[in-house]
Amino acid sequence: VCEGVRQAQWLTKTKRVEGLPPSVLDIVDSPAHRLGDYEEGVRRAVSHARFWDTTEVAPRREHYCPVLFEDLIHLCRLMAAKYPSLAKRMLARNYRIAATWERESILLQVRGLNGILMNSMAPIPPVASKEEILATEEHVLETFYPISPTIDLQEVNVYKELNDTGESSRFKDGYPYSHPHTLFFLESANIRPNRFRPEQLRAKMLMFAFGNALAKAKALYGNDPKVLEEPIVVQSIGTDGQLFQFMVFQLNTTDLVSSDGIKNLVWIDSDQNLYEKAQCTPEVKKRVVTKPVGIYGFQPDTFKKFLALYLHGTV
Amino acid sequence: MAASRGRRVLWHGRCWFSQTESAVPSPSSDSLYPPIVASATAKSKAAKRRRLEYFNQRVHGAASIEEKLRLYGKLQRPKYMLYPQTFALNADRWYRSFTKTVFVPGLPPRAASAAAKGPGAVAPEAARPPEGAAGAAPEAARAPAPGAEAAAAAKTPKPAAGAAPYLDVGELRSLACDALLQESFYQHKKQPYLYRYHDHTPGPFLTQLVSSLTTFLCGLNPLLAASSLDLKPEVNYYWHYGEEVVVHGHRKGRVDPVRFQIDDKPHLQIRVPKQLPEIVPLESDLGDVPVIEHKPSKLPLFKKQYENKVFIGSKVADPCCYGHTQFHLIPDNLKRERLVRARLEDQIEVVYRANGIASLFAWTAAQAMYQGFWSEADVTHPFVSQAVVTDGKYFAFFCYQLNTLALTVETIQNNPRKNICWGTDSKPLYDVVEDGNVKGFNDEVLLQLVRFLLNRPKEL
Repeated sequence: VCEGVRQAQWLTKTKRVEGLPPSVLDIVDSPAHRLGDYEEGVRRAVSHARFWDTTEVAPRREHYCPVLFEDLIHLCRLMAAKYPSLAKRMLARNYRIAATWERESILLQVRGLNGILMNSMAPIPPVASKEEILATEEHVLETFYPISPTIDLQEVNVYKELNDTGESSRFKDGYPYSHPHTLFFLESANIRPNRFRPEQLRAKMLMFAFGNALAKAKALYGNDPKVLEEPIVVQSIGTDGQLFQFMVFQLNTTDLVSSDGIKNLVWIDSDQNLYEKAQCTPEVKKRVVTKPVGIYGFQPDTFKKFLALYLHGTV
Repeated sequence: MAASRGRRVLWHGRCWFSQTESAVPSPSSDSLYPPIVASATAKSKAAKRRRLEYFNQRVHGAASIEEKLRLYGKLQRPKYMLYPQTFALNADRWYRSFTKTVFVPGLPPRAASAAAKGPGAVAPEAARPPEGAAGAAPEAARAPAPGAEAAAAAKTPKPAAGAAPYLDVGELRSLACDALLQESFYQHKKQPYLYRYHDHTPGPFLTQLVSSLTTFLCGLNPLLAASSLDLKPEVNYYWHYGEEVVVHGHRKGRVDPVRFQIDDKPHLQIRVPKQLPEIVPLESDLGDVPVIEHKPSKLPLFKKQYENKVFIGSKVADPCCYGHTQFHLIPDNLKRERLVRARLEDQIEVVYRANGIASLFAWTAAQAMYQGFWSEADVTHPFVSQAVVTDGKYFAFFCYQLNTLALTVETIQNNPRKNICWGTDSKPLYDVVEDGNVKGFNDEVLLQLVRFLLNRPKEL
């Protein structure tokens, strides 16, 4: 998607809000959760992923990005000692999503392998109040005339409109962990051109979060386009091992054909660095060590947001 | 004498060639002449002994663990590669002889408190007279905490002692079944690749199961809360055992130690900052180590020369430097049906045992080297780790205690210590998965797994 998030917003009929929603920020700031205790653990996780996990001197991004993700998820999971309902979550790796919708007479479909999904038994409660949802009615979706909104999208002949209620369900019926909670995207290619730039990564996150939410809405409420009584919330986190993008998406309506009416909402917190630099070998200038080995510019707030998004919905 | 004395050492090709003096720092108080010692470069046994001694001194005096490991594995020669997951017949006997391990069938009897925890807390729903009514009061305060257990509390009996943890079998079983059903039934996946079935269902199932169980049990075991979970880490170990004569090449006729290297990739591994307690004292003798008269290459084992690595899964700087549990996945080419078709039913258990012994020996020995011990500086306290070997349905449990690293020809002569491995046969966790139901779930296996995960040092 060449226009990035703006294009994705038009395609999914979404209004964008900067920063994370208040319910998530409450978890970050609340002293009851004592998120600051985990700073030592996060430092260890970063050092483990960037320095210690391999016999080579410096691991590649393909190696350290998934390892960092696994370590952070392990730290988050250990919170289940305090909140037992966190154990009711299941991680699904390598799974595929399919969702179809019409947007101003253009048929769009989201398909593909999108990484790791965390499911939970209980849905996340809606993040925006009713007033905010109604206020989106007045919001006008920005178009970028003369560029068509479907630029960079692959035009395919679709013979079967696939939805998650059809045969291509990602999960069979009766699955106990039926609510998609968070999607994780790991940009772990070694070469920079193979990785998504932050803007494109955010657009991809938005499209897939929308796809998952739409599929869930169709499963719960049927295929008719309408405004949802109970909005569906899906979160997504994207990272390349250092920079994190956080996103909370709320699906308010499945009526996507027209550009008027109630819109969906997305809160985006972009480009959060977990650390500035991880020095694997000491930098030596003229026989003097100028920069010893270690992590520089560590920011614990990024992990607090990660953890808050993980805990969102259960606390 | 401090080997790292700042004198330069020249290496000529592959000889251990030193140009220092013997550098005995005895000052010239006794005699005016330097001490008379064997030459360092002559082709004589005394010279070889002196070179060996110099090497030992260098490794003993190394400044840091990384330096010690670097010196230990510096000289590269062809070595046998040991594969923990192997199709070789009776490989576990050979591996036991290479690692001086005694195999004891069954798992070690735990300490009394753990044994009371085991049967008391996890008794089945069949009516059992509640033991220890004194434990009822503190337990009742703890019991309502997990909400779902309210219904199950009626049928699960109380733990034996007040200090024993409260384990709900129903909850554990539902966690395991959920993981199993998700991977094998609910999630839509592509067809498995040829001969890669273990990556399709059993692998993800094992990862899910261990993650959910660790999440569930971290409240009960504070060691798990400080643990580090590795997915597909590397574990390597290099050692010498026994002697052989070099058969061909320019070094023909010389007597060389037999070198082995294990390069293992467990599916999952839990590392912890504190060590597991010892199971039996250091000098115990629980059996015999098999002696094999043949050369190792008859197993079959093949030689290759490459980097001598010693690695536990992360570098020396990691605070989680002790091992807790490893999980191994049997690959598709060693599965039971294949062995049965080849009429090798007795080798099924051998596969599990060989995997357990070799992997755990490599892991515990590498942990010991990370603490500075090696074959000349033997361990002062035993190193204990656990492993679970599975193919997705059948689980076998192993427990290993490393008592000695001294396996080289010089050090093994007066060394009465043996390493010990306890292990079970493989048992199925369930019978079959049909239509979203798991049939024939075996609680015993799950509880054994839980007991493994709850293992911790006594202070915690």
